Amino acid sequence: MANAPTTFESPVVTDYSTRPTNASSDVTLTDESSTSKILIRAGSETAAAQQLGVPFGSARQSGTVLVSGQRPSEWLILGSAEETDAFVAALDLTGHVSVVDHTHSRALFKLSGVGSKGTLEKICGLDWDDAITPDGAVVSASVAKANCDIVRFDADEPGYLLACDRSFGQYLFDAILDAGDEFGINVG
Amino acid sequence: MLLVPCPNCGPRNSSDLHYVGEAQARPNPSEATPTEWREYLYMEDNPAGWLRENWYCRSGCRQFFTLERHTGSNEFRNPPMPGNKVGGKA
Repeated sequence: MANAPTTFESPVVTDYSTRPTNASSDVTLTDESSTSKILIRAGSETAAAQQLGVPFGSARQSGTVLVSGQRPSEWLILGSAEETDAFVAALDLTGHVSVVDHTHSRALFKLSGVGSKGTLEKICGLDWDDAITPDGAVVSASVAKANCDIVRFDADEPGYLLACDRSFGQYLFDAILDAGDEFGINVG
Repeated sequence: MLLVPCPNCGPRNSSDLHYVGEAQARPNPSEATPTEWREYLYMEDNPAGWLRENWYCRSGCRQFFTLERHTGSNEFRNPPMPGNKVGGKA
C-alpha cells in the first residue's frame, strides 16, 4: 500500500457534464472509483478472519469503513485511504493472510434510488428481491456480462455498490446508464 | 437455462459457472503410468445417467465443487446447500 500512486485516475473518462439531467429521476449512478479498496484474504483459522467477523455474503459498517465478505475467506474493505489503512493496521496479520490494495485496479460505482433495483434487474440475472438481497447483502455476479462484486448498501433509499475490473469500468458505467434510461437515470 | 446449485451462492445460471469435467480420483504422480495419466486427463465415461462432475463458480464465489448430475434430465442429486446464501448486515 505504501507504493500506491497518490493521484487517482478514474476508469470512467467520458464527460457527462453535458448530459441532460432528469429532474423527476429516482435513480442516480455515481462513480466512486476513487474509494480506497483493500482486499484481504485470510484463512478461517487466522486471527484476522476472527477480527473481520463478517461472514461470506454480508457486509458490516465499521465506523466509516465498509467491510464486505465477498467470497469465502475474502473481504473487501472500502473507505477513504486513511481510514482503510488504519483499519488494516489494527488487524493481526499473522498467519495465512494477504492484503492487497485494489484501489487502482477496480472500478466502483454506486447505483442509488428507488429505480436502482429495476435498473439492476435489467442487466443482472440474480433475484434482487428484498428477501434474497436485503440491505447489507453481498453477492458476486455477472452484470451486463462483466463480473462484479455487489453490495446492497441502503442509505435513505435503496442503493448498490458495484465493483468490477478497471478495464470494464467505462463499459459498465455506460451499460448501467443505458439500462437506467427508462427510469430517467442521472449521473451523480 | 440450467440452474446449477452452487454450495456457496445458491442456484446460479450455468453461464455463471465453468464446467470443469468429470470428477475422477487423481493418480499418484510418483506411481502413475503414462497410460493412467492419459486415462485421467483425456478419457471420460460420459454415461447417460448419474455422473459426478466438477464445476467452478467463476462469477460468484470462485470456488471449485463437485455435484452429481443426471446427464439425461439435468437433475442434480443431493446438491449441497449454501451455508449462508442469504446475505444481510452482519
